[in-house]
Amino acid sequence: MRAFLGIFQLELKALSRSRSLLMLAAASAAWMFVVPRLVVGDGTAEGMREVCLGYGLGGVLALVTVSMLAAATGSLARERAEKRLQLTMVRPVRYFAIVAAKIAALSSAGAAVLALACALAPFCAGSASNHRRCVHVLRPLMPSPREEAKAMYAEYMKLPDTPDAVKKARPSTVLRLLATRAWDRYDTVRTNAVAAWRFPAAAVRGVRSGEVSTRLKFSNTYNARQDVAGELRLGELSAAVSNLTQAVLVFPLADRGGEAGEEGVLSFRNLGKDALMLRPRRDVELLIPADSFFWNLLRSWIEMAATLTLVVAFGLFLSASLGRPVALFTAIVFLLVSEMSPSVVEQYPDEFGATLSDRIGLMVARTVAEVSHPISSMNPLERLSRDECVEPREVAHAVAVNAFALPVFLALLAAFILPRKQEN
Amino acid sequence: MNMEAENVVSLANVSKTFRDFWLRPTVAAVDSLSLAVRRGEVFGLLGPNGSGKSTTIKMILGLLSPSVGEVRLFGLSPRSVAARRRLGYLPELSFLHPFLTAAETIGYYAGLCGLTRREASRRTRELLAMVGLESVAKRPVGEFSKGMARRVALASALVGRPELLVLDEPTSGLDPISTKEVKTLVKALAQGGMTVLTTSHLLADAEDICDRVMILNHGKAVAEGEVSSLGTSLEEFFLAKVGSVQDFALAPFLR
Repeated sequence: MRAFLGIFQLELKALSRSRSLLMLAAASAAWMFVVPRLVVGDGTAEGMREVCLGYGLGGVLALVTVSMLAAATGSLARERAEKRLQLTMVRPVRYFAIVAAKIAALSSAGAAVLALACALAPFCAGSASNHRRCVHVLRPLMPSPREEAKAMYAEYMKLPDTPDAVKKARPSTVLRLLATRAWDRYDTVRTNAVAAWRFPAAAVRGVRSGEVSTRLKFSNTYNARQDVAGELRLGELSAAVSNLTQAVLVFPLADRGGEAGEEGVLSFRNLGKDALMLRPRRDVELLIPADSFFWNLLRSWIEMAATLTLVVAFGLFLSASLGRPVALFTAIVFLLVSEMSPSVVEQYPDEFGATLSDRIGLMVARTVAEVSHPISSMNPLERLSRDECVEPREVAHAVAVNAFALPVFLALLAAFILPRKQEN
Repeated sequence: MNMEAENVVSLANVSKTFRDFWLRPTVAAVDSLSLAVRRGEVFGLLGPNGSGKSTTIKMILGLLSPSVGEVRLFGLSPRSVAARRRLGYLPELSFLHPFLTAAETIGYYAGLCGLTRREASRRTRELLAMVGLESVAKRPVGEFSKGMARRVALASALVGRPELLVLDEPTSGLDPISTKEVKTLVKALAQGGMTVLTTSHLLADAEDICDRVMILNHGKAVAEGEVSSLGTSLEEFFLAKVGSVQDFALAPFLR
C-alpha cells in the first residue's frame, strides 16, 4: 500500500509541478464561463441552460479526456524511454500496483478538474437550475430487441418476401437486422382503438395527480405534423390529448374521475380522424419526479469520472505496450472511431448489397462500437441538460464496470506486458 | 557448507539472444555464462563495451529474462517481490525525477521499499547526511550537478537496507574526489556485510574495491579470480585476457 501511495503521489506531483493540472483547471474554468456566452442560443432561458450544460460541461469533458489520455499514454512509455521505470521495477513493488497507482492518480486529477467544472455549472446555467427537479424516464416493459429478434427469426426466414440474400446470410447478421427493426417497430393506433403499454408497477404506484406526465412522439406514414386527439390513462389518472403539432408532446396526468385503468398500464385511445403510429420502445415514456438538479449533477460527475478512469486505464495499457507517439496516436484514433462508429452502425444496420470494402468498414465500425460501448453509451450530459434523471442504477454500473472491473483488467494486462516490454 | 545458500546471485549456463520483431536472432549478448556471487563479497564484472555486462546485470535485476539457463537471486526468481526486497540498484546514469527534491526522491524510493512514513523520514535524513546533501535536501534534483545527482541515486539505492547492492559503473562521470568517496563508501558497506556486485570500465577502481572479478568478452566469461591472487595488475591481466589496445589511425587528423 505504501508503494501504491508513493507512485500515486509521484504522478500527482508530476502533473502539478509541471503546471499541467493548473493549466487544465484554468482552461476548464475559462471554457465554462466564456464558451456558453460565445455560442448563440435560441433566445430562451431553457436554450441557454442547455448550451451551458451541454457545450460547457461537454467541452470540459472532452478537454479533460484528451489531456488525461495524452498523460496516460505518455506515462509508462516516457518513463521506460528515460529508463526511470526500471528503477521502480527493481523495487519490491508489484507491477500491477505500478499501473493501478498511475490509473488512480491520473483519473483522480481528471475527476478533480471535472468537479471544478461541475461546481461552476449552476452559476453558468443560471441560478434557477438549483431549484429544478429532474425526472425518471420510464419506458414500457418489453422484451429486448434482441430477444424479439430471436423470437421472430424462424418465422421471418420462412416468409416468401424475405430476400434470398437475407436467407443466405449468417444467422447473426439476420438477427442484427431483425433487432434493429424491433427497436424501430411501430404500433399503429387506429381511430377509436386503444393501445396499451405496461410500465413497472412499483415505479408508478402511489404517484399523485399532476406529478406524472406522459411524453409521446407521434408520427404517421404521410405527414410530419397532424391533428392528434385522444385520451391517455394510467390507473386513476388521465389526460386529454389534443394538439396540432407533431413535435414531442408532454401531457401531465391528473385525477379527472372516470373508470380507473389497470395499475401500471398506460393506455391511449385515439379519438382523432387518422391512425397514429408510435414506436413503443422510443416514442412512449412516463416522466416521474425524481430529486434535485444538484443530485443529478453529482451523479453525472460520478458517471463521467468513471468513464474517464476507463479512458485513462486504456491509455496506460497502450503506454505499457507501445512507444509514446504510437500509443497516443492509437488512443486518439480509437477515441475518434469509437465516437463515430455507433452512428455508422445505426445508419447502416446491415451489409446486404454492400461491396467488400464497405463490409470490411462496417465490420470494423461494429467491432469498435461494441468494444467502446462502455464509453460511448455513457453520456449523462444530454440527460442532465434535459432534467432527466441519471439513474443511480446506471451510475452504480458505470462505477463497477468503467471505474473498477475494466481498469483492473487493463491494469493486469499492462502489468503482464511491462516486464516483457523491457526485453526490447 | 551449503554453497547454494551462500550464493547471493547465481547464473547457470545463461545465454541471452536479442531478437527482432520477427523473432529472428539479432545479437547474442551473453553466451553460456555461469557465475556465483558469494555473500559479503565485492564482485566486479569487467569487460570492454559490448561484452555483455549490462545485459548480465539486467538479467540479475529481473529486467531481462534469459533465453537459456537460470538466474537466481537469494535462491529466488529475480522478478519475485521477495528477492527485490533485498536488492538495491544504482544504474549507470542516475535517471531521477527532475521535479522532486533530494529528500522527496529518497522518500519516494523508501515508500516503494515499504517503509512507513516515519521510518522513511528518518532513513532519508540518515542517507542525506551520509552522502553529504543535507543542505540541499529541498532543492529539485533537476538542478543538481551530475555528481550530486549520483549521490542521490546512491542514497536511493541504499534506502531499503539491501543485502545486495548492484552498481552499474558507480564512478562514471564523477570527479576524483567524489570517486574516492564512492569507493570508500562501497568498502565500508562491504565491511558492514553487504554484498556488492559492480561493473566498471575503470580497472584501477575495480582493483581498489573488488574482492573477486570476472572478465567478460563477447558475452563469454574469459577469466575469473580473486584480485589478491592475480600476481599482476588488473589492467595487465585484463589486456592479456581481452586483447591488445586498438591502434587508432590518427594520421589523417594530425595533418
